[in-house]
Amino acid sequence: MTSGDGATATSDADLLRAHVEGDKQAFGELVRRHRDRLWAVAVRTIGDREEAADAVQDALLSAHRNAARFRGDSAVTTWLHRIVVNACLDRIRRRQAHPTVPLPDGSRSEDRPSGVEPAAPVQDHETALLVREALAALPVDQRAAIVLVDVQGYPVAEAAEILGVAVGTIKSRCARGRAKMALALGDVAHPTEGNQEASSSVPSGPAADRRDQR
Amino acid sequence: MTGAAEFSGVDIDLLADYIGGALEGTPDESVVATLIADDARWRAAYETLGGRMAMVGAELGRLAPEPMPSDLAARLDEAFTAPPRLEVVHDAGPVQKTRKQRRWVTPIAIAAGVVAFVGFGLDYLAGRDNASDTAANSSAAGSAEQSRATPPTLSSGTDYTEATLAVAPSQPLSAASEPGETFSAQKNGDRAATDTTLPELSRLMPPEALQECLDLIQQANAGGPIDVESVDYARFDGSPAVVVRFTAANGVWAWASGPACGTPAGGADTLARVPVR
Repeated sequence: MTSGDGATATSDADLLRAHVEGDKQAFGELVRRHRDRLWAVAVRTIGDREEAADAVQDALLSAHRNAARFRGDSAVTTWLHRIVVNACLDRIRRRQAHPTVPLPDGSRSEDRPSGVEPAAPVQDHETALLVREALAALPVDQRAAIVLVDVQGYPVAEAAEILGVAVGTIKSRCARGRAKMALALGDVAHPTEGNQEASSSVPSGPAADRRDQR
Repeated sequence: MTGAAEFSGVDIDLLADYIGGALEGTPDESVVATLIADDARWRAAYETLGGRMAMVGAELGRLAPEPMPSDLAARLDEAFTAPPRLEVVHDAGPVQKTRKQRRWVTPIAIAAGVVAFVGFGLDYLAGRDNASDTAANSSAAGSAEQSRATPPTLSSGTDYTEATLAVAPSQPLSAASEPGETFSAQKNGDRAATDTTLPELSRLMPPEALQECLDLIQQANAGGPIDVESVDYARFDGSPAVVVRFTAANGVWAWASGPACGTPAGGADTLARVPVR
């Protein structure tokens, strides 16, 4: 790894290559660059912070070990996200396959986050809370797609690559998930009734305000 | 999806697909367009749902950023970039670490291929008093990276049974008498040829093969990442076996695996596993 001054940042691909070639700092730098986005995807997909932490750790360990297998067919970030998302989905599926004893209030669903994601420190706290709950109630495939596209702002094509499905599938999962959430939320969001097809279509290109750049 | 009463008679999933652009270029696109044009219920649902879906999308986009918790970020930093840190310190005994902190040390270091099968850590494995073991402590300073980098391994020759599997081996590795010494991968290979390791287990001596075995044990254990405490090239019920002691989310385990451990066909080649405590 030769960069670090920020003026001419080393590319992700260069960092990964350096890691494969034995640079002991390179993978850590790569993780530092993307850890917030990877974490956000994980915690919103899996819903439980402990499980998300485990999933991210597992995923990064796997990426660390298997970096030499990266062929460059996709962006390094896409590859990292795919590994993290798959780790999350694996955990959710294992949870479904090996159900735990329900909590006394019966509030825990096996494919559903436990609702321990922290409250957003925003002014619209109530709405954000309800939106997160509605998101958490979605089937996991729809939730994963919505987290990537609607929450994190990834282009549909990249989300499709991360999840290993067709673009149309992502559009469908996002649209159906949004519709479910719309029904669940009812009038909470106080929508302006009427056709807003243009704005509700799943974006197919890079989002103008891509949140992952924050 | 069964919709709300206001959408009675409307396939909301299909309508959502249409609104979301998932039907573009498909025959269903014109079918839904026709329904919206000709059926008042579909038209009303389209006008209502489209707006609500857009609002949901907007609300999702407004969710607050979720930065990685600082403790997790620190663990990742430590695991991937921080300089090696000692497991054992002079006056405080073993460093107290959380489960998650501990479990990162070994797997990452193994993956990085920093190979040292023996070192001062074997003293620790053999049960010496860390606080009083000045030899081990002093050697730790010089071999910190190696000592924390790999699971301590030994070739005790013990023939474990299910009843004794959970009992720590009493015989430390011969190299434990030289606590300051560490071995490169090549030296380790040399050791494999000269010590008491059973020939059936020689395949598992190279770190890559051992790691594959540990990976499959981790997978078979289904308790998340494992923090390997020791690997003993030994026997179980008379058969060659690697006996791995590790901590995972589901407890502390002693795990006996046969020589096929780590191979696609053999998987973890589990012979026995018992909880240590």
